[in-house]
Amino acid sequence: MNSIETHGLSKQYGNALRVKHLDLCVPEGCIYGFLGPNGAGKSTTLKMILGLVRPTQGSIEVLGQPMARANRLAVLKQVGSLIESPSYYGHLTGEENLRIVQMLRGVPEKNIREVLQIVRLDNQQGKQVAHYSLGMKQRLGLAAALLGYPKLLILDEPTNGLDPAGIQEMRELIRELPARFDMTVVVSSHLLSEIDQMADHVGIIQEGELIFQDTLTHLHDRSQHHLALRTANTPVAQTLLTQRHIPCTAEQDYLILPLLDDGQAADLIRFLTKNRLDVIRLEERQKSLEDIFLELTGKAASL
Amino acid sequence: MKLLRLEFYKCRRRKIALVCAAVLAAQLFWFWVVLSRQSAEEMQQGWMLMLYNFAVVDAIMLPVATAVLASRSCEIEHKGCTLKLLETAASPAQLYRAKLLWGALTLGGLLALRGAILVCIGVTLGFPGEVPTTRIILFTVLTWAVSVTLYLLQQGLSLRYANQAPALICGIFGSFAGLMSMLLPSFVQRMVPWSYYGLLSLTGMNWNPTTHDTWFYWFWPPVTNFVLLACWAILFFVIGRTLFVRKEV
Repeated sequence: MNSIETHGLSKQYGNALRVKHLDLCVPEGCIYGFLGPNGAGKSTTLKMILGLVRPTQGSIEVLGQPMARANRLAVLKQVGSLIESPSYYGHLTGEENLRIVQMLRGVPEKNIREVLQIVRLDNQQGKQVAHYSLGMKQRLGLAAALLGYPKLLILDEPTNGLDPAGIQEMRELIRELPARFDMTVVVSSHLLSEIDQMADHVGIIQEGELIFQDTLTHLHDRSQHHLALRTANTPVAQTLLTQRHIPCTAEQDYLILPLLDDGQAADLIRFLTKNRLDVIRLEERQKSLEDIFLELTGKAASL
Repeated sequence: MKLLRLEFYKCRRRKIALVCAAVLAAQLFWFWVVLSRQSAEEMQQGWMLMLYNFAVVDAIMLPVATAVLASRSCEIEHKGCTLKLLETAASPAQLYRAKLLWGALTLGGLLALRGAILVCIGVTLGFPGEVPTTRIILFTVLTWAVSVTLYLLQQGLSLRYANQAPALICGIFGSFAGLMSMLLPSFVQRMVPWSYYGLLSLTGMNWNPTTHDTWFYWFWPPVTNFVLLACWAILFFVIGRTLFVRKEV
C-alpha cells in the first residue's frame, strides 16, 4: 500500500499554476525525499496533502483513504507534521506546548515524556520555548509531530536554520524513525546532499512539476561512467577518434568518450601516440548526483 | 469543550487576570472621582448615578479592553505559527468557536465580578432604597452582550492580521466613537456598534441648563436597539468566521 497517492494534484494562485498535475506516490515504510529548489511548490504540495490548502484540482489519498473535508481530521489522526517552521507558544514551556498537542490529539500523557526523550529535550522541558534556540524549537516541532506515534510523518525542511551539528542530529533522528516506530516519513528539502543521506525514495519537483520519482538507487543509476581524454591537441585528437568510429564530445580541454575496456583503452593510447599525439591524461569519470540534479532541473543542486 | 479548555491553558502567563484587574481598577477610580464631586442631594439617587456612570465608562474603556483581550488570545497563534498545527487536529470553525467562547466567558467573569463590586459599593456607601438587584444583573448582562458583539469584531481583526496594530487601533477608535456618539441622535448612534453601551443603558439623565441640576430616572431601552445589536453581532460573526475559515495557513 502507498502511504500517499496524489492524482493530477494542482494549485493555482491567481493566474499562476504553482503545482501542476502532480502524481505523487509514497510507498509505505520508506523515507521519501521531496526535493526541489526554493519556490518549486514543495510546501504547497505538503499543505494540500494535510488539507491546510485547498487543491484547485486533483485527488489525494492518505493511508489508503481519500482526503475529503468530512474525513480529513479522522485521517490526520494518524499523521504527524512539521510544516515550514516549528509551531509553538513561546510563553509556555516545552512540556506545556506538548501537553496542548497531547490534549488536542487525545493521546496518552506518557507520550510527552517519551517524545521529549526521543528528541533529547527532556532536560529543557521546563524552560519557556521563547528562550529555546532554533535547533531546540525544531526538535520540539518534531516531538509534537511524533507525539501520537503516527503512521505517516510529514516534515517540511526540518533542518532549516540548524547548525551543522543540529543538521546531523536531526538527520540521524529522522533516519531511525521508520525502523523504530514503523512509520513512513516524507521529508522535503532543497538540499540534494541531505536527501541523499536520508531518503530511500525521491521525488524531484521543479516549478510545480514532478520531474523525477523513483528510488534513490535508480537516481544513482543515472550516473553513467565515461572516459575523459586530454591530449596535446584536442581538435586533432577528435578527428582521429572519429576516424576510429569512437563517439566523442569536446568539453573544455577534454574529449568525453564512452567507457572502454582495458584492451580498447590501451589500443587507443597506442593509436594516438603512433600519430604523434601526446596523451596527457585518460580519466574514468562518473556523473555526480549534483550533475544529474542539474540535468533534471537546470539549476544548481542547492538554491 | 476540549478546545475551550485548551484556550484557557494557552492563555497561561498571558496576564489576562492583570488586564481584567486593570480595567476594573480604572473603572472604579473613575467612579470614585465622580462620587467625590457629588452633593449629598445627588447621592440620594446613588444606584441610578452609579449605573449611569458605569455605562459611560464602559463606552470608553470596554472597547479597548475587548481589543486587548482578543489580541492577547489571537496574537499567540500568529507569533508561533500554530494554526498550521492546530488545523491538523481541529477544523478552523471549531478553533474560531473556542476562541469566541473563551472571550465571552472571560468578559462574563469580568463583568460578573464588576456587578458584585457595584452592589458592595452601593451597600457600603449606603445608597438609599433597596439594592436594585434585577437592574444590576440586567445591566451586567446587557454590557456583556455589547462587549461580546465588539469582541466578535476584534477577534475577526486579530485573527485576520498577524500585526495586532489594526485591531488595537480599532479598539481605541471604538472608545472615542462610543463616547462621542452619546452626543448624537439615536438613529446615528445605532449605526455605530460601540455606542450600544449608551443605547442599552438602564438609566437616563435630565439636566437643567439654568440651575445645573441633574436628576436620573430608570429607563427601558427600545426593543429595536436589542434587535440591532443582534444584527451587528451576527454580521461580525459571519464575516469574521468566514474570513478565518477560508484563510489558508
